Amino acid sequence: MAEKVRLGFVPLVDCAIPVVARAMGFAEQENIDLELVREMSWAAIRDKLSYGVFEAAHLLAGIPIAARLGLGGVPVQHIVVPMALGRGGNAITVSTRLYQRMLEADPAAMHGPRGLSGRALKKVIDEDRAAGRPVMSFATVFPFSSHNYELRYWMAAAGIDPDRDVNIGVIAPPRMFDSLRNGWVDGYCVGEPWNQRAVFHGDGVIVALKDDIWPRSPEKVLGIREDWVNSSPETVSGLVRALVRAAEWADQPGNRSELAQMLSEESNVGAPYEILKASLGGRPVLRPGEAPTDIPDRHVFYRYTATFPWLSQGSWVGTQMKRWGQVPADSDLNSVVRQVYRPDLYRAAVADLDVAVPKHDWRVEGANDADDRSFVGPDSFLDNTVFDPEKVS
Amino acid sequence: MVKLEEYNILVIDENPDRAAIVERGLVESGYARVARIGTSHNLVERIQALAPDIIIIDLENPDRDTLEQMFQVSRAIARPIAMFVDQSDASMIQEAVSAGVSAYVVDGLRQDRIRPIVEMAISRFNVFDQLRRERDEAQAKLNERKLIERAKGILMKEKGLSEEDSYALLRKNAMKQNRKIYEIAQSVITAFQLEF
Repeated sequence: MAEKVRLGFVPLVDCAIPVVARAMGFAEQENIDLELVREMSWAAIRDKLSYGVFEAAHLLAGIPIAARLGLGGVPVQHIVVPMALGRGGNAITVSTRLYQRMLEADPAAMHGPRGLSGRALKKVIDEDRAAGRPVMSFATVFPFSSHNYELRYWMAAAGIDPDRDVNIGVIAPPRMFDSLRNGWVDGYCVGEPWNQRAVFHGDGVIVALKDDIWPRSPEKVLGIREDWVNSSPETVSGLVRALVRAAEWADQPGNRSELAQMLSEESNVGAPYEILKASLGGRPVLRPGEAPTDIPDRHVFYRYTATFPWLSQGSWVGTQMKRWGQVPADSDLNSVVRQVYRPDLYRAAVADLDVAVPKHDWRVEGANDADDRSFVGPDSFLDNTVFDPEKVS
Repeated sequence: MVKLEEYNILVIDENPDRAAIVERGLVESGYARVARIGTSHNLVERIQALAPDIIIIDLENPDRDTLEQMFQVSRAIARPIAMFVDQSDASMIQEAVSAGVSAYVVDGLRQDRIRPIVEMAISRFNVFDQLRRERDEAQAKLNERKLIERAKGILMKEKGLSEEDSYALLRKNAMKQNRKIYEIAQSVITAFQLEF
């Protein structure tokens, strides 16, 4: 008798791994009857996981850490992370109107590296301030999301104070596009297909990709309750194996068209095939009406250890929580990360598979001379920071 | 201490019918200050203006992500916290989650004062669900009847059968194939829609 596992997900390209695990039979091979439930908000997924409606969930990397700390007025929840669900596909999109202003304010910055395009935004903000105009509004998907941290990183690197110079609000991913189109926000950071969609409709321009900010920033993870790990360790192992196999399948360039087809279904992401295909095929269109740009690493599901729950990535999330005042600066977050991120579960689950695992659970991030670079992929921060998780608490 | 009926209760729901049912239930129980809003892009301003002590919102509502961030950063309003803070009350949490209710409550309100409000919301959500199920079933029945009428019409016109004989033919085939009559009717309609 197959074990029933209910997994909640949000309609985004990076729900691909669980969708493939079910559709291509990887879950069934592990004797798991994987039921996928589409949710429209992160708060709903978190609550349903916490209170036992789901056994597993597609979660933002920061949610399990925030849940362990009881942040945001929500009681402490013991959610753990046995694996990551790929590197995601975030981007920063601004309205076409703001893009024009950025282009006029600082053409050099807009034609330079995309990671530094925030410098043009800084000039626009300065113009607005001089003219006494209200501050602009940007949106991310959740307070504890990599999107929030990436948008702020990009702004701060250009001398913008995200807490003072702009408003940053939260809008659930499926509502982002309408908010931009209706002029309620001037820009946002969200996962695909919600950037590509704005470009295809002529409402937005992608000004920076996740890869331009920090390619290895942690994105979605598999979240499960700690008590479920203790009560059903075999099922947890089986689920991790099924998802790792699915990630491997989803990473094959030859499978990307089929994957785009699968995700376009209304019960999965429910976005048009050609939008998903452009993004998944590594040929996104960044500006309306222009030719696609070649970005082969736009969506990475398996290679570059994209399914491994690196403690150093969790630790980086912790530093961003401190940087933006979500937790007190003296919190010992590395010890929280050790409780939440569980590479031991990952290692045990894939022990008998042909899956390359890193030697250590921690690494220095962003060091360009790192000898494991071909294994973990490009990892430079846009400001060339080197992040050593042992040097933070 | 604020009296029971003086709590400001805000119901946020994209479904105006359900919001009305919840509102009426609360008002009838003696809570005079109940407001409701649907989805709105200036949610933050509207909530600030209403200054609710308790917010009742559909668990699945995407606006919850927006609300939670607002509670975290806002200095302008008292910071409500998720109802689930009272972990001891596991049965109510289960009931709320299965009914699809979530609530945010200004910190410091007594749990025994909040409980009847949340319970009212849970029971009204369940009532609404029941009504919706009944309506959907009635609609499905009506659709089934329409299919059978159409199939009968086709058989009468194409096969020259009487109305009674057309119905009898559908019923006989349904029994033989162990299917519903409306399913056979659907097959008849589909078959005659084919172009030869």
